[in-house]
Amino acid sequence: MSLFMEDPAHFSKSRLKLDLVAHNVVLPPTKSRKEIYVDLYLKHIAQKNAGDFSSDDEDQEQDLADKEEEEDAEILVQSCLTDDDLKAALLKHGVKAGPIVASTRALYENKLRRLEQSEGQGHVNGVEKGVLYSDSEEEEEQGEQEDGESGSEGAKEETAEQSNQAQQGSSQNGDFVYPQCFLLSSRMRAHATRKGEPIPKRNSRNVIKSSQQSRHHCSQIPVGMTKASSVDQRSGLGSGFPPGTHSAVSNGGSSISSQRSFSITEMVERRKSLSSSPNTERELNGRNVQEHWSRSNRPDTPIVDTMKNQSPYYTPKESPYKRKIKPSQEPVKDTIEEMFLNMEASPTGICATRRRPIKGAAGRPVQYIYPDTPTSPTTLERREVERRLVPIHIQILVFFILACLLYIIYVCVEGNSFSPFVALLDSLDQGSESEEGLMLQAETQDTPVISGQE
Amino acid sequence: MSSTSQKHKDFVAEPMGEKPVNALAGIGEVLGKRLEDKGFDKAYVVLGQFLVLKKDEELFRDWLKDTCSANIKQQGDCFGCLKEWCDAFL
Repeated sequence: MSLFMEDPAHFSKSRLKLDLVAHNVVLPPTKSRKEIYVDLYLKHIAQKNAGDFSSDDEDQEQDLADKEEEEDAEILVQSCLTDDDLKAALLKHGVKAGPIVASTRALYENKLRRLEQSEGQGHVNGVEKGVLYSDSEEEEEQGEQEDGESGSEGAKEETAEQSNQAQQGSSQNGDFVYPQCFLLSSRMRAHATRKGEPIPKRNSRNVIKSSQQSRHHCSQIPVGMTKASSVDQRSGLGSGFPPGTHSAVSNGGSSISSQRSFSITEMVERRKSLSSSPNTERELNGRNVQEHWSRSNRPDTPIVDTMKNQSPYYTPKESPYKRKIKPSQEPVKDTIEEMFLNMEASPTGICATRRRPIKGAAGRPVQYIYPDTPTSPTTLERREVERRLVPIHIQILVFFILACLLYIIYVCVEGNSFSPFVALLDSLDQGSESEEGLMLQAETQDTPVISGQE
Repeated sequence: MSSTSQKHKDFVAEPMGEKPVNALAGIGEVLGKRLEDKGFDKAYVVLGQFLVLKKDEELFRDWLKDTCSANIKQQGDCFGCLKEWCDAFL
């Protein structure tokens, strides 16, 4: 509960900005002062949080009120957007704005408003809920400590499921929300609706929770790892995924980086798991939670409290998030490499290199190029043969030379005295005769004789 | 639009030069007056707006509606004739 009691005035400006973006509040012009951010923060986020953590009855009403408030504020804020911000906002909605000048600005503002309204209801809610409920897991963490909260948590989950339809409806939403932790929660909700039985899921989660609880005290991570891998094998997932998740689970350099690697693997896993049986689906759900847990409970995070405070903020962001992450990307590579070494020694023989193409496919440049495919024995043989053969141009040359020779011989044999060559040939023949004389073979001797007779 | 109006054909047939704004298809006396009041006195000024909106139909229609409260048909006529003119002469 002490989560959001911090004074926003103590936050850094960038932190405030990130929070505002996370809560889908339109940012003030880039050059505005910190006070403006703080005001916005207080207005949008602090109130909302107060609402979230009040009793569950108020929850939804508060939500509604917040929404309206925010919409009003948005319209107001829109008019104080700079041209660039407006353009960026439009671009977020997939609209490539032209020049924003005095005569066009109003139109673009209108358009933005309309876009936000059309996809808006679902969209704004979605993000908000995503933010709220992506940390529902964190809340569970609290609930673990103080079990009284579990009721409100359940209620929240229900609202989350309600909002799920709206979320899935708007495709834009996905664009926005995809990154990181929110994906996690949205995935879980998607499973819930698809299965149409949210309660077992929650139950399983509770079971896992309790098991986690016990694990939390002893060394939990190896357990999580083996569980995860066993699930992988059972559900027949590709060999590419485990290393990523393993590395993320076992060597938590920083929670953010691990979340990042999660989002990729999980995106793929989700696809797979959808096609697999509901049984494995549930298992995956459970595992999901486990991973999330072990992540947030990781022993090397110095102060658990700060982690709790930060992760709800940092998770559901796109570009600012990336900015935050960059420094912490290095450890991921290291850990993955370490894992690769481990994996090679593993008895399962799971190969980790498959995962590379996924990275390449995600828009980043492919860093890893496959080695040339090993040539088959037949191709090797063919090459061997080709090496021994005379190059084709020499073959052609020889052919032409032969052809010319034969033609000349033919001309000589058939040749009549009208041909200008004949005299030349005769002289040549005579010359050769005189030179070589009797040494000439019978065949060659025939020719001059004949030509001489003619 | 099933067929183009005579006004449309006339406008599209040649460079617009210094034609007044009500030479545009869909812009009559009333709308022309309103546009002139807003400073869009020549057809090329409207063309400028049309171009600065990147020939986007939706935005241009909105603009026309906001500026001179043109109805849907008028918006369509005006947009169509400017578009065709651009295709021919730009």
